[in-house]
Amino acid sequence: MSGQVKELKVSPSSNGDSRGSWEEKDEFDQDHLGLTTKPKLVTGRRARKVEGGVFFPKPENAVTIAVSSRVLFRTEREQEVYLQKGVEEYLRYQIEHENEPFAPGPAFPFVKALEAVNTRLRELYPQSEELFDIVLVTYNHAHVGIRLINTINHHNLFIERFCMTGGSSPIGYLKAWHTNLYLSADADKVREALAEGIAAATMFMTENLTEVSESQLRVAFDGDAVLFSDESERIFKAHGLDKFFEHERDNEDTLLDHGPLKGFLEALGKLQKKFYAKGHRLDCPIRTFLVTARSAASSGIRALKTLRAWGLEIDEALFLAGAPKGPMLEKIRPHIYFDDQMFHVEGAAEMGTVAAHVPYGIAQKHNLKQNSNVGK
Amino acid sequence: MVSTIQNTDVKQKDADRAVVVAVTSRAVFESGADGDDVYGMGVAFPLLQALQRVNERLLEENPAESLLFDVVLITTDSQQQQQSSRIISSTRHYGLEVSRFCFSSEEDFVESLQKNNVQLFLSTDRNEVPQASQKGVLSALLDRQEAPSEQLRVMFCGDAVNRPDAGPMPASRQAAQSFSAQLGEMRQRFGMSDSPLSIVLMTSHGGRESCGGALRTLRSRGVNVDEAYCLAGAPLSPILSVVRPHFLLSDGFSGLED
Repeated sequence: MSGQVKELKVSPSSNGDSRGSWEEKDEFDQDHLGLTTKPKLVTGRRARKVEGGVFFPKPENAVTIAVSSRVLFRTEREQEVYLQKGVEEYLRYQIEHENEPFAPGPAFPFVKALEAVNTRLRELYPQSEELFDIVLVTYNHAHVGIRLINTINHHNLFIERFCMTGGSSPIGYLKAWHTNLYLSADADKVREALAEGIAAATMFMTENLTEVSESQLRVAFDGDAVLFSDESERIFKAHGLDKFFEHERDNEDTLLDHGPLKGFLEALGKLQKKFYAKGHRLDCPIRTFLVTARSAASSGIRALKTLRAWGLEIDEALFLAGAPKGPMLEKIRPHIYFDDQMFHVEGAAEMGTVAAHVPYGIAQKHNLKQNSNVGK
Repeated sequence: MVSTIQNTDVKQKDADRAVVVAVTSRAVFESGADGDDVYGMGVAFPLLQALQRVNERLLEENPAESLLFDVVLITTDSQQQQQSSRIISSTRHYGLEVSRFCFSSEEDFVESLQKNNVQLFLSTDRNEVPQASQKGVLSALLDRQEAPSEQLRVMFCGDAVNRPDAGPMPASRQAAQSFSAQLGEMRQRFGMSDSPLSIVLMTSHGGRESCGGALRTLRSRGVNVDEAYCLAGAPLSPILSVVRPHFLLSDGFSGLED
């Protein structure tokens, strides 16, 4: 584990207060666990300006994003206590440090961007419940609840709904909340959610995150096994690149089957159309990207035709024809990038992009280290 | 007319320390076919088993434990009253840890509760619950559960139910506070995982401050909550069907809301 945490730029809060950049102190802690950084104390809750609009949408009307505490915030130190000393000591530690807010985690910039979109949506549609609704779903004990609430207050996040399940599976709650997307640090929980038909991805903490937009939510997706099914990837893995090209050409007019994140792209598209309807196409605060190893001239056509047939617009489609994704993502600067292959997730992270792993499809059976950059 | 019969099969609890829970026999037993000696298992049957399991675990931790659930079966139904022997024999048949049987009429059942120092009254009857509550006895309605858990799951509702003018009776609030403190003490006998008892908090209307305030208030009473659900206006029943509490206590918790 590296010593220093690099500066993470966080956008101004959605109600207009300027925050400045969130910085970790450079001092080293005496903590024998080997983790550094001094904890910051809660200074008091900022008053939140309550503008017009809906603030508690019905879950079935909203685009519900369920995040776990480990991806919304950084809890590595506490995880260490849990692993080394067990649950009782972990909870005692949490209570002892109750007034020290957690630092932002990998999902934090994404959540802030969701709030920025909500502000714009409320301005244009004050009666509408079609908003992002962020729910904290954690299998932490409620003993950690006060610290989490203090942290939410400290960062001025608008999170008013949560489930702290005290160790039981959160999956039932995901369904009860009509969850459109679940983000967690726990790959098993993510797989469970996917098996229940809920879009989900595993997130990891990265250092050296690049700056992301404060006014526009940018979401990037891999194609196969994320938006689309893994059927083509199966062909590639089983029979190689040539067979893959042949198959795609022969089936150009057959739609690909849908993948686990198709529904989430659809939900984003629905919100985008609301901005377009009010003349905000050019400055829409939501932008979507397809970043695929497919080639524009050949295998990419089937992907585009499928999206069109689904009635889904994607703002930018980037066909890399097998080139590494990291540099392209670094240019795009999405708040989150979804890919089914850990190789690409790690590659993206190395270049400062928050990438989330979708553990779906044939790629999961292969070695993570396998070199698959000779893509489709 | 109120009468109480001790169950000689079961060791009587310490009157000063035990938490007396009265459950209506109509909730515990289902009238089966006539001619059966033994009643069928009713809605509250799994609850009784869960209470029993908590006692067993408490005694495992400390054989001299006196803070136990003391379960009393109260019969107000006149039909069932005529079959008092059947109630007693059914209880014995299932090996239920019931220490006393109370028989009273609908008119004086609350008197019976008070006489027996009942700290929590559980019934499936929608009239009995508010009646007892108004006289200062902490009460909760029991409902049929799909797949009830083995673990005793008690839910506290942090928001007052929508009655802005009529607050809960002071006596009832007092009863709620002392029951919750006892429950909190019981909970502390067990570790974080594998507890036979789980304390759940739910706030249905307020946001996170509402829930945070409730967590703090409960903690100040020595009640450490295991699970917390802050709904902020989202529909209750989808969440409740996942949480599966055995019963909800919403009475007398106006001190918990923001």
